[in-house]
Amino acid sequence: MKPVVDRLKQEYEGRVEFRIYDVDKSSEGQELMRSYGAQYVPTFVFVNSDGVEVDRAVGETSEAEMRRMLDALE
Amino acid sequence: MDYRRALIWGGVAIAVIVGGVLLMSPADEGVENVTPSRAGELVAEGVRVIDVRTPGEFELSHLPGAENVPMDSLGASASEWDRAEPILIYCTTGARSAHAVSYLEAQGFETVYHLAAGIIAWDGDLERGSEIAPMPADVTPGAAPVMYEFSTDW
Repeated sequence: MKPVVDRLKQEYEGRVEFRIYDVDKSSEGQELMRSYGAQYVPTFVFVNSDGVEVDRAVGETSEAEMRRMLDALE
Repeated sequence: MDYRRALIWGGVAIAVIVGGVLLMSPADEGVENVTPSRAGELVAEGVRVIDVRTPGEFELSHLPGAENVPMDSLGASASEWDRAEPILIYCTTGARSAHAVSYLEAQGFETVYHLAAGIIAWDGDLERGSEIAPMPADVTPGAAPVMYEFSTDW
């Protein structure tokens, strides 16, 4: 997933903020993951500018699907 | 007719005996995957809690009363433990602890509870060093849309 996420991060720079957490190493990431009720890795949570979660993907996700969810945030 | 009646009563008697034996058997032996709420009960009951993550991860936060026994030292540590004592075991997401649970089961540990969803599913208080960390606060939304990725190297 990393190459896909890296590519999308570059492409959406300035439009969508990417916050990436290694939950083995980040207590903030663990707490956020818990607060979003996410139980599996990887999990991607898409939150719009009103702070509302609009979509979520769990597990391996295609670039096209990621792009669709990112576009829906804008 | 008598033969058929005897057969029926014999069947009933066998069912009662088998049921009784099953009811009298210890239900908590072996490996049991537990939910976070059940894990919370076990912690409250004082069950031994083993965190198999690294010391760095343990330092960030861990279940109340947990002992840190990283995977690479599990074998040496477990050889000293009482195999009859129930153990609750966990890691971040359940991946590493699943290996630990298999190992302990193979070593003859009688009762191993596995928090299979890991510490990220835990919804109670956490300890950080000697301090009790509060539940996470609500996330404050940023001005821009955000994509959160929660992942691990494992």
